[in-house]
Amino acid sequence: MTIVGLAPFEDGFTPPGPGDFELPAVFAGVTKPMLQLVLAALLVVIFFWVVSRRGAMVPGKLQFAGEQAYTFVRNGIARDIIGSRDFMTFVPYLVALFFFILVNNLFGLVPLIQFPSFSRASFAYGLAALTWLLYNAVGIWRHGPLGYLKHQSVPGGVSGPILALIVPLELISNILVRPFTLALRLFANMFAGHLLLILFTLGGEYLLLHSDVAFYKPIGVIALLLAIAISFLELLVQFLQAYVFTLLTAMYVSGALAEEH
Amino acid sequence: MSQPGPPPETSPSRSLDPWVAFGRLVAGVGLYGAGGWFLDRVLGTSFLLPLGIVGGAALGLYLVYASLRER
Amino acid sequence: MDGTINGSLNMIGYGLAAIGPGVGIGLIFAAYINGVARQPEAQSRLQAIAILGFALAEALAIIGIALAFVLS
Repeated sequence: MTIVGLAPFEDGFTPPGPGDFELPAVFAGVTKPMLQLVLAALLVVIFFWVVSRRGAMVPGKLQFAGEQAYTFVRNGIARDIIGSRDFMTFVPYLVALFFFILVNNLFGLVPLIQFPSFSRASFAYGLAALTWLLYNAVGIWRHGPLGYLKHQSVPGGVSGPILALIVPLELISNILVRPFTLALRLFANMFAGHLLLILFTLGGEYLLLHSDVAFYKPIGVIALLLAIAISFLELLVQFLQAYVFTLLTAMYVSGALAEEH
Repeated sequence: MSQPGPPPETSPSRSLDPWVAFGRLVAGVGLYGAGGWFLDRVLGTSFLLPLGIVGGAALGLYLVYASLRER
Repeated sequence: MDGTINGSLNMIGYGLAAIGPGVGIGLIFAAYINGVARQPEAQSRLQAIAILGFALAEALAIIGIALAFVLS
C-alpha cells in the first residue's frame, strides 16, 4: 500500500494531501474507518431501539424526537418522492440509509474521531452499489427483465432513426452514470471538506508556532479561526449530502417503478 | 374539522428531471467521447476525440429537449 | 521560494470554465423559483423550461471537465 505524500516546502511545511486519508490498521488489517462504520451502525440501531421501546400513545420527549426523525424521512423523502401507493416498502431502507450516512458524516466533527468515513471512496461506492441493486431489482420486479430494459433504454418523445444513437446513451445514463455520480457526489464532498479542514488547521498551527517571520503569527490565528468557521460549513454539507443521497435513492426507485414514459 | 383525506398522488417522474438531464449529458459526453477516442486509436486520427465529446454533449442535449417536448 | 506555480493547467482551465455555468444555473433556478412562487399552477410548465435551460448551461461545464482530463 503506497502512501501518496507531498514533498515539504523549503521552510518545512508539508501540505496535506490524499496520503493523509490512508489510516494505518488498528489490528489485523481493520482500519479506523472500518471501525467507524460498525460504530455508526450500532449507534443508529441503538438510537431507534431506545426511542421506540416505550411505544406510548402520547410520546415523551425521547420518543417524540425519534418520531420526528423517522417522520422526516418517511414523509419528506419516501412518501413525497415514491408516491403514497408503494412507498412503505422502502421506508426502512431509506431511514436506515439516511441516518447511517448522517452519523458517518458527523464523525468528521466529533473530537476524538475526526474522520468522515465516506471520505474513503470505496465506502461511498459500496453504498451506491446497494442503491443500484435496489432500484434495478425493483424495476425488474415491476416490469420484468426485458420490459425493464425497454423501460430504461427508450425514452418518451423520441422516435425515428435517431433512436439508434439515443438508446445506448439512455441505457448508459440510467444504468451506469447514476450510481457513479451518486457515490462521487458523497465522496467528493466529504473528501474536499476534510482536506480543507486539515489544511486550515495544520497551516494555521504551522504559521503560528513554527514560522520565523513574525508577521505570519496573526495570520496563523486567522487561519485557526477560519478552521472553526469551516467546521460549521462542514456540518451543513454533511446534513445536505446525507439528505441528497437518500433523496436520489428514492428518486431512482420511483423512476424504476414509474408506469408511463 | 374533519380528518383530511389521504395525501394526493404525487407524480414521481417529474421530480427526477434535473438529475436525469445531468445524467444524460454526462452519459452522452462519456459514451461518444470514449467512442471517438477508440476510433482515434483504430484510425490514427486525432480530432475524433473532441468531436465525440462535443457530439455526445449535443446528443445528450437533444435527448433532454425531446423528452421534455411533448409534455 | 522561486515563484513558479506547479500543477495542472488543465484544472485551472476547468475551474475558470465552471464559473459561467455555475452562475447561469443559479440564475435559471432563481427565475424558476420566482415563477413558481408567483403562480404555483404554472409549476409543471415552468419545470420543463427550467430543465432545458439547466441542461444547456451544464453542457459546457461537462464538456469542460471531459476535455480537462482528456487533453494532455
